Amino acid sequence: MTDVSMTVNGEERTASVPPETTLLTVLRENFFLTGSKLGCDVGDCGACTVLVDGIPVNACLMLAGQAEGRDIVTIEGLANQDGMHPLQQAFENLASLQCGFCGPGVIISAKALLEENPDPSVDDIRDALSGNLCRCTGYTKMIEAVQDAARIMRGESADEAA
Amino acid sequence: MKHRGKGIGCMWYPIGFTVAANPSAATVKVNEDGTATLLTGTVETGQGSLTVLGQIAAEELGISTEDVHVVSADTDATPMDTGAIASRTTYVTGNAIQLAAERAKNILFEVAAPMLGVRPDQLEARDRKIQVKGYPQSALPVGEVANHAQNGAGTPAIGSASYNPPTVAMDPETGQGKPFSTYVYATQIAEVEVDDETGEVQVIRIAAAHDCGTAINPMLVEGQVQGGISMGVGMALEEEMLFDDQGRQINPNLTNYIMPTSLDMPHIDVDIVENFDPTGPFGAKGVGEPTAVATSAAILNAVYDAVGVRVPNLPATSEKVLAAIKAKRNADPKRVSAS
Ligand code: FES
Ligand code: FES
Repeated sequence: MTDVSMTVNGEERTASVPPETTLLTVLRENFFLTGSKLGCDVGDCGACTVLVDGIPVNACLMLAGQAEGRDIVTIEGLANQDGMHPLQQAFENLASLQCGFCGPGVIISAKALLEENPDPSVDDIRDALSGNLCRCTGYTKMIEAVQDAARIMRGESADEAA
Repeated sequence: MKHRGKGIGCMWYPIGFTVAANPSAATVKVNEDGTATLLTGTVETGQGSLTVLGQIAAEELGISTEDVHVVSADTDATPMDTGAIASRTTYVTGNAIQLAAERAKNILFEVAAPMLGVRPDQLEARDRKIQVKGYPQSALPVGEVANHAQNGAGTPAIGSASYNPPTVAMDPETGQGKPFSTYVYATQIAEVEVDDETGEVQVIRIAAAHDCGTAINPMLVEGQVQGGISMGVGMALEEEMLFDDQGRQINPNLTNYIMPTSLDMPHIDVDIVENFDPTGPFGAKGVGEPTAVATSAAILNAVYDAVGVRVPNLPATSEKVLAAIKAKRNADPKRVSAS
């Protein structure tokens, strides 16, 4: 067993796990943060995307030990007592998700994009979401929601023309 | 060199099959606080059907969608439904729910009529009230009528109903009959760019015009069309299950079973062609599966328009498109491409 400790959504967390355990498994099975999804377990689908020191990572491809001492943000870390994150709110307003399985990963990827680029073009958004497969939506309403959230986060109103 | 082309695909699609039993049942009860509870056996898979079904119950009862509590897909508690299949939910389940809500509403009318001094057929349900048609100032809140229905009149406002699309047997000799209750129609137009050196097809834009009867929730209809188009793009250009000679799938994961990413998807314009169908709930038909039908035809016609080649078996991968372009060049060496 290996002891791992990391900051998850602002809280210190530790677990004792076999060394081959992935970050995704620790998040889901030791910390009970089941928002990040296990889609493929081989890095193809992006359903497990989390932020590691601010960078979007497929948590199924990272060993828990590699996350030692790092700062992890999962979908559960976005909302606070004031309400949902602007991305979550925009996804809800526009019905951007259908089954929702890809959603936690998509929103984390979008958050990483907006932190780097507060005013992304449609092509920038397509690029940022290209590692998150969605079987349901065709991505159209997600792209619109990321644009809306970006406007809100820049202090504009969501429905100003793109 | 890259060549642009446009192509069109049209389709019809059947809604509400009738050759076998295809029922949905529903129960609607109106509560003393003016809310309603809807029991349905159907399943939500993200398409938004429970929202639409709640809207149908709310519209019939004259209340708001958020007043309807939907209980679904619990075989201990909910009535039978044939299933979230065949693009039938809005049409078949929706019809059952509208009938069930109408029965509950008729009880409210019977109870409210003496309270308002009119006949039940002079009443309507609107704005969370039971009111006299043409005299909206003569009205009672739905909750008050529901309360009186159970605690005064002794006739709680509850309705159950089922709907099974009317069956017309198929003639065993001729195959003639009416296999479906109604039909929807759509046209999609694709614009593509084809690289004649690599065979790669990029879909630039798809315009999709869909008839679904009344669009009870246009935002959700758009979502269905956009999602269906992504499946159509995959069908046209990428997605293929490959098997070895033992029948084992050789591409059983997303590394080599390729489906559209956000970079593969075109700009999509959705045009909802509203069209009232008298047999559907508030004129609605359906929209789910039909959305993927026209896409691959439109894309492959656009490929033909761009480079003059037909790829008769899907998906039209880069390899197949390039092979077709080379075959055409060899057959007609002076013409490099169509344009
Ligand atoms: S589960 Fe990690 S990429 Fe699919
Ligand atoms: S909403 Fe179903 S996979 Fe994206």
